[in-house]
Amino acid sequence: MDTTASDTLIRTHLDFLRRHAPFDRMEPDALRFLGERLSTAFYPAESEILVPEDGPPRFFYIVYRGKVQARQTGAVSVTEYSTLTLGPGEGFPIGAISAGRPSTNSHLAVEDTYCFQLPAADFLRLQELSPSFQIFCTRYIASLMSQSREQLQVQFAQRAAEQQTMTTSLSNLVSKAPVFVGPGVATRAALEKMVEAKVGCMAVAGDDEKPVGVLTQSDILKRIVLTGFDLARPIADVMTTPPHTLGGGATAYDAALEMATHGVRHILVVDAEDRLKGVISERDLFALQRISLRQIRSGIESAADIEALQRASRDIRQLALNLLAQGIGAEQLTQFISALNDALTRRILELNLNRHDLYGVEYAWLAFGSEGRHEQTLSTDQDNGIVYLLPEWADKEPLKLRLLEFAKDVNNDLAACGFPLCTGNIMASNPELCLTVDEWREKFGSWIREPHPEALLNATIFFDFRVLYGDEKLAHNLRHWLLALTGGNPAFLKAMAANALDVAPPLGKIRDFVTDDDPKHPGSIDLKKFGARLFVDAARVLALRTGVEATSTVQRLRQGGSRIGMPAEELSAMADGFHFIQLLRLRHQHLDTDHGAPGDNRVKPDNLNELDRRILKEAFRQARKIQLRLKLDYQI
Amino acid sequence: MNWLSRFLPGSGPGLTPEQQASLDLAGKLPAPDLARSHYETRYVVVNTETGPADGASQRLLAVGAVAINRGLIHPDDAFQARLGDSPADALIGLLRFIALAPVVVFNAPFNRGTLERAFEQHLGNQPTLEWLDLMVLLPSLYPERIGGQARMDAWLGAFDIDRLAPRDALLEAYAVAQLHLVALARARHQGLASPRDLLDTQSSRKWLRGG
Repeated sequence: MDTTASDTLIRTHLDFLRRHAPFDRMEPDALRFLGERLSTAFYPAESEILVPEDGPPRFFYIVYRGKVQARQTGAVSVTEYSTLTLGPGEGFPIGAISAGRPSTNSHLAVEDTYCFQLPAADFLRLQELSPSFQIFCTRYIASLMSQSREQLQVQFAQRAAEQQTMTTSLSNLVSKAPVFVGPGVATRAALEKMVEAKVGCMAVAGDDEKPVGVLTQSDILKRIVLTGFDLARPIADVMTTPPHTLGGGATAYDAALEMATHGVRHILVVDAEDRLKGVISERDLFALQRISLRQIRSGIESAADIEALQRASRDIRQLALNLLAQGIGAEQLTQFISALNDALTRRILELNLNRHDLYGVEYAWLAFGSEGRHEQTLSTDQDNGIVYLLPEWADKEPLKLRLLEFAKDVNNDLAACGFPLCTGNIMASNPELCLTVDEWREKFGSWIREPHPEALLNATIFFDFRVLYGDEKLAHNLRHWLLALTGGNPAFLKAMAANALDVAPPLGKIRDFVTDDDPKHPGSIDLKKFGARLFVDAARVLALRTGVEATSTVQRLRQGGSRIGMPAEELSAMADGFHFIQLLRLRHQHLDTDHGAPGDNRVKPDNLNELDRRILKEAFRQARKIQLRLKLDYQI
Repeated sequence: MNWLSRFLPGSGPGLTPEQQASLDLAGKLPAPDLARSHYETRYVVVNTETGPADGASQRLLAVGAVAINRGLIHPDDAFQARLGDSPADALIGLLRFIALAPVVVFNAPFNRGTLERAFEQHLGNQPTLEWLDLMVLLPSLYPERIGGQARMDAWLGAFDIDRLAPRDALLEAYAVAQLHLVALARARHQGLASPRDLLDTQSSRKWLRGG
């Protein structure tokens, strides 16, 4: 090796890198490290640089000159719509190489392209050397979360469609005359027609209009672009044959089943004489009969009896499914569910007030646990209680009895509307949980003074209280009192922190994830216990320490975290991690509920797609980060 | 200089015993198998920097060389030297860097000619090397880009390669090396899988042109 020669070449690397983000902000030592280790390679136009089949990438690539296109591959159907073009200075595959897994994207040189290549091990080392580069990579991975949401959208579109248009006949679903060409037509002409008609699938039919084949968008890449297929040849040489067809009398359900069975996205609809009548795509099946938020809400508010509320409860679930189908994030979704469940609960309370006279009583109906945090998923049982004020002139026992009678009816009605009775009896009809303000204070105070394990467990449920109905002031005062007490009690906070650190994120040293060793659930992770709860518990400690009144985990993180000087970026990354885990839980519960199995929180990482697995790993890393902060702050 | 010079101490280029040993070492390395694939071949791209000499020919001032190994150019695998006061050391260094790998130049009549004259003059020795000339090879690999023989600038332009610093022997070699990567990509595509195939193509090409 000749040092002056190497230096000269390294300098050319550095000159280039300094002109492109994120390298322009990279620490000088790290930049030098990078420049020394880059080699130059050439990829002619239309050649593959990196494909999933290559396995874990051996290099990190930075485009030096030319253009690279990243295309998603795999079973998920957003693929053909999402491509990304990378130009000089842009690097890939950040996620795959960080995770040491095969890339989910195929990377293709669309022009003659020169790339700088950094060996994978050096890429990881570079992240250690360069905090700015690490932040860049982490943010990039976080941005994948929105991609994952798009994938979800499609997945749920299919499910929602399956349910709602199941019985619609295909002849009703066919909306326009079929676009087709004869088998002898030149492929170029057929493709031009596809573009012109804006269809993702070209049917091929003979003079008798009987379909003989199809060509879809995804075929074009595989069979035409990549193989350099001669466009002058007839489409018959490249189409899929025979095509999948169904009669017009078949239902949308049949079409969905056919698509799922054969892994196709288009079905040709034919009439009794086998003549082509139309093309049904996966997207057509996503013909949602949308139930609007407003409709449900007014339905709830005007409900006259429990039957009407039961219908509303089913509508809420359906809406949740639809919202998932529209790709809404976990944060908004849980807020919607929470808002509607609140409305439903309020209406149940109002209906019961017609039968129970509580006039003049100062009380509030409280929600605890996930409901208290606005973080209900779809299979949460009820956690509620009552706080009331005992007037000086009144007798306690008769008043409490009246409240308990009332609570009992409400609890049963809630159960009838799909909120199972709490097995732990955390319900307002439990005399222990229908208390005056002073009694609640005494209860809370004893847990804080003597934080034994049971007290800490109670704190994690009851300190997340929120008023659903009644006198807000009562709860407000109770919270102020509570925060004043906890904020000045480091011993209690330390005990809460230790409790929050009981469970570690299931990140493996060798494998990506540590799964449950329970033989009944091999290979699964309980995303409530080992996922969401890690964030929830840490955020609660933060809130109790810094006096944050909000009960939602994300609000607690954002407000509490910023009060102790955690950077907003870091807090956002943690919130993203929490949301992603919540989203996976919701999705899992939906899918399982639909299949008749009880909705639980056990997700098998092996069943997730690559992108989700990678993000889940990142989400767990965020949990570890916030736990680390607790560890440091409380010397645990 | 003639072949006798090697046997007449003092009358030749006057290599010191150390220089001679180093030179001998460079010549004794195992010769690479030219039938191996491009990926398994280490190519060395060499470029010269010259200045006017007394006669009509140019005088070699500096050499720059960049290796291509496993299809990659790596900054660690590069060499440059000015002939200056000790031309023999510079040339021995170059030969040791080349290590009998196939040598790639653009415009062999000029670059190879200049180098061979310098080897003769300063080392009294003509090492046996395989030479590939991109000026000859590129038109046969990319006839659709430039049909006939063309200047280096034209080829660099055709493949959008920056000429970072004209007349710097090393940076020119780096540009030529990028050009060779381009050549290898097409060669592979055309079934010219090894350096041997490229050498054969080159000689038939020269023969066709009567060169």
